[in-house]
Amino acid sequence: MKMADGSTILRRNRPGTKSKDFCRWPDEPLEEMDSTLAVQQYIQQLIKRDPSNVELILTMPEAQDEGVWKYEHLRQFCMELNGLAVRLQKECSPSTCTQMTATDQWIFLCAAHKTPKECPAIDYTRHTLDGAACLLNSNKYFPSRVSIKESSVTKLGSVCRRVYRIFSHAYFHHRRIFDEFEAETYLCHRFTHFVTKYNLMSKENLIVPINVGENAAPGESEA
Amino acid sequence: MGTNSGATAGINNKPVGGATGAGVLVGGGVGGANSSIGGVLSNSLGGGGSGGLSISGLNAGGQNANVGGMGNVGGDDGGNGMVGGGVNNQQATTPQYTIPGILHFIQHEWSRFELERSQWDVDRAELQARIAMLLGERKCLESLKSDLTRRIKMLEYALRQERAKFYRLKYGTDPPQLNEFKPSNEDAGLAGEVATDSEVPYSSVSNTTWRQGRQMLRQYLAEIGYTDNIIDVRSNRVRSILGLNNNAEHDGSGGGLGGGLGGGTGGENLSPNINGNESNKRASETEGRHTPAKKVQQSIDEIIVDTEAAVMANFEFLGATEMSDDDEISDDLEMVATDNDDTDVKLAKRAKSGKDMLTEDLEADVGEQLLNDMNLMTEEVDGSLGLGELAQLTVNNESDGAYDANSKDGTGGSAGGAGYRKTWNAKYTLRSHFDGVRSLIFHPEEPVLITASEDHTLKLWNLQKTVQAKKSASLDVEPLYTFRAHTGPVLCLGMSSSGETCYSGGLDGNIECWQLPSPNIDPYDCYDPNVHSGTLEGHTDAVWGLTTMQSNIVSCSADGTVKLWSPYNKEPLLRTYTASEAEGVPSSVDFVRNEVDHIVVAYNSAHCIVYDTETGKQVVRLEAAQEMSGNTGKFINKVVSHPTLPITITAHEDRHIRFWDNTSGTLVHSMVAHLEPVTSLAVDAHGLYLLSGSHDCSIRLWNLDNKTCVQEITAHRKKFDESIFDVAFHATKPYIASAGADGLAKVFV
Repeated sequence: MKMADGSTILRRNRPGTKSKDFCRWPDEPLEEMDSTLAVQQYIQQLIKRDPSNVELILTMPEAQDEGVWKYEHLRQFCMELNGLAVRLQKECSPSTCTQMTATDQWIFLCAAHKTPKECPAIDYTRHTLDGAACLLNSNKYFPSRVSIKESSVTKLGSVCRRVYRIFSHAYFHHRRIFDEFEAETYLCHRFTHFVTKYNLMSKENLIVPINVGENAAPGESEA
Repeated sequence: MGTNSGATAGINNKPVGGATGAGVLVGGGVGGANSSIGGVLSNSLGGGGSGGLSISGLNAGGQNANVGGMGNVGGDDGGNGMVGGGVNNQQATTPQYTIPGILHFIQHEWSRFELERSQWDVDRAELQARIAMLLGERKCLESLKSDLTRRIKMLEYALRQERAKFYRLKYGTDPPQLNEFKPSNEDAGLAGEVATDSEVPYSSVSNTTWRQGRQMLRQYLAEIGYTDNIIDVRSNRVRSILGLNNNAEHDGSGGGLGGGLGGGTGGENLSPNINGNESNKRASETEGRHTPAKKVQQSIDEIIVDTEAAVMANFEFLGATEMSDDDEISDDLEMVATDNDDTDVKLAKRAKSGKDMLTEDLEADVGEQLLNDMNLMTEEVDGSLGLGELAQLTVNNESDGAYDANSKDGTGGSAGGAGYRKTWNAKYTLRSHFDGVRSLIFHPEEPVLITASEDHTLKLWNLQKTVQAKKSASLDVEPLYTFRAHTGPVLCLGMSSSGETCYSGGLDGNIECWQLPSPNIDPYDCYDPNVHSGTLEGHTDAVWGLTTMQSNIVSCSADGTVKLWSPYNKEPLLRTYTASEAEGVPSSVDFVRNEVDHIVVAYNSAHCIVYDTETGKQVVRLEAAQEMSGNTGKFINKVVSHPTLPITITAHEDRHIRFWDNTSGTLVHSMVAHLEPVTSLAVDAHGLYLLSGSHDCSIRLWNLDNKTCVQEITAHRKKFDESIFDVAFHATKPYIASAGADGLAKVFV
């Protein structure tokens, strides 16, 4: 609720808040956030303001730990991908997409099982997101939201590769759902820039083109 | 006649007998010169009275005299004797000796005998006097020895006391050492060593005193007129006597004491000493020369008198010995009176002794300081123990203070002891949601929990099953299932009475129905579309409240409406309740548990209205007339109904929890519950306890009988200005849970 209680702004969503007013409060500089979840608050604040401004969202503030910055962004990506998964559940079924594929060149095996298994696409999506949720919230690898161990930062790369396959499957097999979702969130666009900026994935694996928008980079082309 | 008689006798006897008869006759002729000789003569005459006896007597006397005479003859005129005898024997009738010659010889020999006898008598007297003097000196020395022994024992005792004192100061208590010390004291060798150590300084002091005493004694003797020779003679004598004992120490000590005695006694004692010297002098003179017979006799008498004087002098020594302590004091005074170099040396020596004493005192002081330090340390230890007790008291006070604070918060200041049913402890932390957990609810029978999050998902947790995931070696409670259907944050949850169906409301305005999978499914099983059993569409804005009763659901939404649903009907929506515009937007809703067909709705205007679900009319309005002012501060975040009483409990933005009577609509109790707005409430199935959650990050457990807080738990962190969103009791198992803005759900047992 956008309310000024005295001179203090209370950033709260009280019961009864309308959906258009949810989380709608004045922006706060990152330096003034004294919570341990300040980075998440800051990222969500930027996305709330303008999800299409990918460069601003991915610009790391000064004096910010890069490991924490990448970790919090990946959490945000997995959280927003739940929206894409909800849409895919209505159309993608084991009967129509029996394997997790993007192009005809690769078949992706699900890594969530004890031995890699050939899951249908919708199951691959769900298992990957559930596994990512467990890993990113694991007390062993990521016990703190303020500092990240160097040995754990390397695990972000493997999560990115698997998560990207969800985008690629949706793009090549459920184009309409992908376009609708992308128009609202610019998620794939932001994700591609994210992994490129921090070298989390090699370029030859980035098979989803992003030159459809005004922000298309000249060097990129459709594979 | 005589001659003939003798000759006849000689002829009758052997030749030797003839010579004897001649001697007897000669003796009888000389009788007039000596009384003894006269006696012999008278005997002869008597014998003459009777012819036979006279001959026998003469023979006996003659034999004796003859024996002596023959000896003399042998000594003086051996040759003549033998020759005479022989000649006499060969020529019996021819005479060799003359009577005058024989008489002269006998007289000469007698004189010699008398002279030797007198000399012997003189020697005997002299030796006896010497014996007496030596005995006196021996007694004197024995008294000195006993005195010195007594002093030594006193010094040993003093030293032992000092050592015991030192040990006591150093080690606190030394009975064992005393026991050890006593046997060593009994040991003769060690005792001797101790005596030697203790005697050395005394000996040096004694030597000094002796020198001073001797010097003064010389002065006095010079005044009297005696020369040094006499003194030297006496000194040599004393030393020779002491030398016989082979005890050098005694020599020094004896000399010192002697000198001291002399000086100390003064005039009275000088006389006996002088007498002693005189006796010694005379004795020595006597030894030096030989005197005539008469003079010798006089000397004997004088020697006897002098011996007595010497003995008395010795006794004087004995008497003086008893006053030795006084003598020493006198010596000290005299030394102080005279300003001599010796005195300076003595003073310097005493100064050194004083320094030694001071050093010993300093050492003793150091020891005492050490003991004091130990005592202080002990006291410090005691103080530390005291601090420990104080710390414990402080802790107790803090506990009491905290408890009182809780009580004050609970009851507005009334202090009351609340009985604890149990203290809840954190057991599980459910970490898998990416964003804040808005709501959570327990299964009616199973240890299963459902959580709803702003990350658009719901998750199913089995609290009895801790999964060891492939990607993690630690034991984490993993969600068994993730429900995905909402396109926005999920805000509220409801559970059917049977526990088979779950309902969730979200920001997208939809209510999703879920068929709960088994608590034992594989987390990564295949997708089952049938889990999502339907969507209740009707609300046009966010659904903020959801509750179930039997098979009915009631929901409140930001669109201002409250709707009653029956999910299994073809047309699930049964009725819509709308309040007047002035009431505002409903924020929370609950079924009235002890009344069928009644619901209670809280509006953001701080009012609660009880509706009849059948007629749709307002039954009662929960309102406090006294608190009409300031509605903004009394915004209601949560409303719950008591399971057994007609009581409604509300959580307010102004940090209060308020209790209302459903029958009369009046406020029955109000209490400040938290530091920040109260966001959530939960009542246990028996109606005894109340849980409250707040944005101050804490959960509080309240006793509903006396409205007191029995426990407070700080459970979550803040995101923006939000913290705890929901709390829940399990209906049949001892679980409570809390949901927080930090993306965590916590379970307490």
